[in-house]
Amino acid sequence: MFRLLRPFEFHEPDSVEEAVELLSRYNTGAVVFAGGTDLLISMKKREIHPEHVVSIGRLAELNYIDGTADGGLRMGPLATHAAIADSPLVQERFPMLATACNKVGTPQVRNMGTIGGNVCKAGPSQDTPPVLAALEARLRLLGPHGERVVPLDGFCTGPFCTILEPNELVVDIQVPPLPPESAGCYKWCTKITEVDETLAGAGVVLICEDAHTCGDLRIGLGSVAPMAIRARAAEEALRGKTIDAARIAEAASTASMEAEPRSRAGYRRHMIRVLVRDAITELHRDIVSRLEGKKR
Amino acid sequence: MKTIARYVVNGEPYELAVEPFQLLIEVLREQLGLTGTKHSCGVGNCGACTVLVDGKPVLSCMTLAVTARDKQITTIEGLARGGELHPLQKAFVEYGAIQCGYCTPGMILSAEALLEKFPDPSEEQVREAVSGNICRCTGYVKIVEAVLAAARGNERSLDR
Amino acid sequence: MSEDYHVVGTRIVQPDAAAKATGQARFAGDIHLPGMLTAKVLRSPYPHAEVVSMDTSRAKEIPGVAYILTPWELGDWNTFDRGMKDMPLVEGYRVPPEEGVVNRRARHFGDPVAAVAATDERTAEEAVSLIDVDYRELPFVTDAAESMRAGAPGISPHAERNIAKHLTYPFPEGDVEKALAEADLVVEGSFRSGKQEHCTQETAACVAFVDAGGRLNVWSQCQLAHLARRELSHIFKIPVRKIKLMTPFVGGSFGQRGALCAEPIAAALALRTKRPVKLVFSREENFVGLESRTGFDDITISLGFKKDGTLTAFKTNMLGRLGGYMGCGPMASVIGMTLSMGHYRCPNRAGSADMVLTNTPPSGAMRGFGNEFMTFGMEQLMDEAAEKLGMDPVDIRLKNAKKAGDTAALGLKLESTYFEDCLRVGVEKFGWKEKRETPRSEEGKIKRGYGMATMSHCTGAAPLYLEHSNALVKFNEDGSVDLTVHPAPVGQHIWGALSQICAEELGIEAEDVHIVTGDTDVTLFEYGSDASRSTYAVGGATLRAARQAKEQLLARAAGMLGVPAGDLYLRDRTVFSRTNPDRSLSIARVCYEAIYSFGGKAENFSGKQSFEPVWNSPNYGAYFAEVEVNTETGRVTVPRFVTVIDCGTAVNPMAVEGQLEGGLQQGIGLALTENYVINRETGVVETTNYDSYKVPTAPDMPASEVYIVNKPDPKGPFGAKGVGEPGMVGIAPAIANAIHNAVGVRVRELPITPERLLGALIPS
Repeated sequence: MFRLLRPFEFHEPDSVEEAVELLSRYNTGAVVFAGGTDLLISMKKREIHPEHVVSIGRLAELNYIDGTADGGLRMGPLATHAAIADSPLVQERFPMLATACNKVGTPQVRNMGTIGGNVCKAGPSQDTPPVLAALEARLRLLGPHGERVVPLDGFCTGPFCTILEPNELVVDIQVPPLPPESAGCYKWCTKITEVDETLAGAGVVLICEDAHTCGDLRIGLGSVAPMAIRARAAEEALRGKTIDAARIAEAASTASMEAEPRSRAGYRRHMIRVLVRDAITELHRDIVSRLEGKKR
Repeated sequence: MKTIARYVVNGEPYELAVEPFQLLIEVLREQLGLTGTKHSCGVGNCGACTVLVDGKPVLSCMTLAVTARDKQITTIEGLARGGELHPLQKAFVEYGAIQCGYCTPGMILSAEALLEKFPDPSEEQVREAVSGNICRCTGYVKIVEAVLAAARGNERSLDR
Repeated sequence: MSEDYHVVGTRIVQPDAAAKATGQARFAGDIHLPGMLTAKVLRSPYPHAEVVSMDTSRAKEIPGVAYILTPWELGDWNTFDRGMKDMPLVEGYRVPPEEGVVNRRARHFGDPVAAVAATDERTAEEAVSLIDVDYRELPFVTDAAESMRAGAPGISPHAERNIAKHLTYPFPEGDVEKALAEADLVVEGSFRSGKQEHCTQETAACVAFVDAGGRLNVWSQCQLAHLARRELSHIFKIPVRKIKLMTPFVGGSFGQRGALCAEPIAAALALRTKRPVKLVFSREENFVGLESRTGFDDITISLGFKKDGTLTAFKTNMLGRLGGYMGCGPMASVIGMTLSMGHYRCPNRAGSADMVLTNTPPSGAMRGFGNEFMTFGMEQLMDEAAEKLGMDPVDIRLKNAKKAGDTAALGLKLESTYFEDCLRVGVEKFGWKEKRETPRSEEGKIKRGYGMATMSHCTGAAPLYLEHSNALVKFNEDGSVDLTVHPAPVGQHIWGALSQICAEELGIEAEDVHIVTGDTDVTLFEYGSDASRSTYAVGGATLRAARQAKEQLLARAAGMLGVPAGDLYLRDRTVFSRTNPDRSLSIARVCYEAIYSFGGKAENFSGKQSFEPVWNSPNYGAYFAEVEVNTETGRVTVPRFVTVIDCGTAVNPMAVEGQLEGGLQQGIGLALTENYVINRETGVVETTNYDSYKVPTAPDMPASEVYIVNKPDPKGPFGAKGVGEPGMVGIAPAIANAIHNAVGVRVRELPITPERLLGALIPS
């Protein structure tokens, strides 16, 4: 590990289009610099030696947190984890996303690191990808040939690998609205201390048809596979069925088997089972009490 | 290729020639001689290099200096006014919250940012605010006490 | 309670606190000198390798590279022992000096093989990465048992079967085997430790230069400054008088700076380039290039008891991992074996230790120096014995407590102990009986537990270690005092304590005492700060020097007042007469008139004392932990922790609390969170920064209460004893005992990770 960075050419485009143009010009010789919290570590460790750094941090048009009329959310890639965690809009509409962003790093890192940077780094043990996966977020990508919108699920193809082309930028992160009879949460355990990398994380969204029936269940797992994954078999175990302790346990068990952890595998699977079980149980309880509250 | 730009540090404007690959901590310590900001882990985990940029605590060892131009940068040297210690500095001194002193600049700045946002924080909020600042000497007990005391305007009565 | 002192016992603010709060305090890495070069080190990527050849041509081509030191360019420099513990520091203890400034044979991952001095850090880093090294990898071993086996690769010609030292318990007594055979109850256990790294927030750093007079000047973080000077003299064959060692503020030590750290390489490059050189280690270098805590592959302890709980036998065998060089690691076994029994009477005692070289980074002293791991074992066994005998754990400790006048752990008379007070206060403040008797719910996966442990540590290490301290006290014409001493300013508030001791004796205020320190040209010989000795030993020298200066002052004042000197006393910056209260003089006036005096009577009051404490005044502690164990996840949290300490008079209660509160953080790290991992297949250290090696931060810490018994020791200055280390010695066993109380299982390996605990909970 080196304390200082090696020299590179620095570019500060004035617009998103200029940024894309620079990325096209320098291709794999360039990296995108947003908050820099992941990038600088890789550069200090000499894992990467970019000749060109394209800094987008001052592009105001990429820094926003907006609600959509239908109850969803749009965030610019430069929205910091702190801004998202502290946003009343996010806390109201997607509290699990605020929770996950508040878990990232430390207070200082949250002030610097961006959601776009986090998603593009595609590290296996991050907090926002499993939550965004459960929320079925979409990414709008801008390249030299135009835009494309891709689901977040599938954006990441392996550890530190995404489908992003070298000349493409993530310019928007869209979170679709959730129906009223739904609740979501993010649960995790760390490797050891309170402020620490996530060892196992589960972002869960439960949508109920009525107090006892599961309409839809989405389980995003983080830190237990080469990338964040949806535990689809586990979701199937409960989808459309009556919610009871036995079924919740089965879904949790199934989720833990869908995990493919590389290290501390036994314990990670065990924790996924615990986290998913606790998440669904808690969400069900919340929805039920909300429904009962409405009845009165 | 160095660029010359305006940096505002502790309220003072500077015209500095900075390479894009220089970290903010390098510029502060070596070009401006402000050695109060400390280097410790280099990977963003310990908070020793914390400075405030536009009032927010960030890690100067993980910040490219050029990205901090035209912003308000506050280092530990910028807290005391006219030789008078800032209430947090006073509290840290009086409550014994400083042992080796190496984490102190970063710790005080994280606390300062908290108090600007939450002038009357709970103990839990204080712990969370300094959760990115490692101290190996104090066990954080007197640090938390000092921050709460500074928030409440309590000067410790120096008993004899 | 301690007597009613005027300055001793008060919670004064430290003289250096404001400088640290404002960022003005200068640490080694903050020093800047004209023409200064920056150094970087090339370290072996292999755990055991020979450097066959080294090509520095590419590195030399970079503009700004001033000098590259390779193992072929060491000239006639000597090899050394970084731990500096060779006789005369530990009587009869020899350590072969085997480390080179840089090494041709790397004995561990991270061993330095070359170093570069360049105009700036970036250039130095680049140059290091361009040095081409042809390594011949050698077979290696990472644990002690493996290392002692026939056919294991030899690491040192001075260590047969890689056993650097076979040490035995230095104060054996009785017949341990017979006592164990005859005991009503024998409890035994084998305990294994990991390794802990000091994680000082400031990494190792040094600035060295050769001044215009040709003297080597070194800004060194070393806790033992005069010894570092001697060692550098030995390495570079420079007479001691041509070396000046200066101590800046040091960002934490916990024992790590008791060895040479960045000094040899910085000094070497300064000598070769004739320019100032600054070397600052990266965090990763701290983890692999410095001594970390000596770990033990196995500590087996057997204790024998009568059925009434009387301890009759103590036997231990220890197997320690040293790392590639001997350093001061071996003594961790002796310190552990002796001090862990410092609070218990036991007529039959024996023990031995094999301290084994391994191809891992060096081991040395870290706060507790072996006592923490031994106590982890001892206090769990005491707990087990209590349970089997149907006794309260507190009662079994009381039953066996040493009393003042007994022989202390290190063989001298035990001067004072308030061990029983520690237990009594702890029981009350923690609510021990109520907590332990509260019926616990069988339901739910979170189990609460309450456990306790005790410990005794040392105040200085007489008679094992050199204990020589000196102090010089000088009165200024305004009645203030300059106190010249050289303890290590590593954050433990020693300057404040010494100024309080001095001020108390001289009837002035702590702020009237100015500490002159940090320069071996100016300070008299000082062994240094370690073994929790500074307040006791340097304070003892200070007190005696102050008395000497005081006598001169009183003699003069007696003449000025026309009363006998015995009639006078000092208080409130004034010389008072006992018999004539209206006869008084300010201290300042007496000093001034003495200095500005004619007729052959001028004098400047001063005192100088060499002091060697030849007593044992150990400290004692009782530790009470409340834990919550999640039986489903194996996670342990510690909501509350109570520490009660007997460290004699608390010179500054705020500083004493600081030591115990800080020790709690390191103790929780040792017990639960800090795991120094070496890959057994590659010999590479995997945890080299805070992202993988986790120290507790503010949200991890319990609600902490500290109580100070505060009763004086007959030998310490104003009754003070040491308190630097106890803060962490009793933490891990208290937590382990609390876990047992919560869930009925014991974990005998540190750290107690969730997987280890679950493994103990779920037998299959």
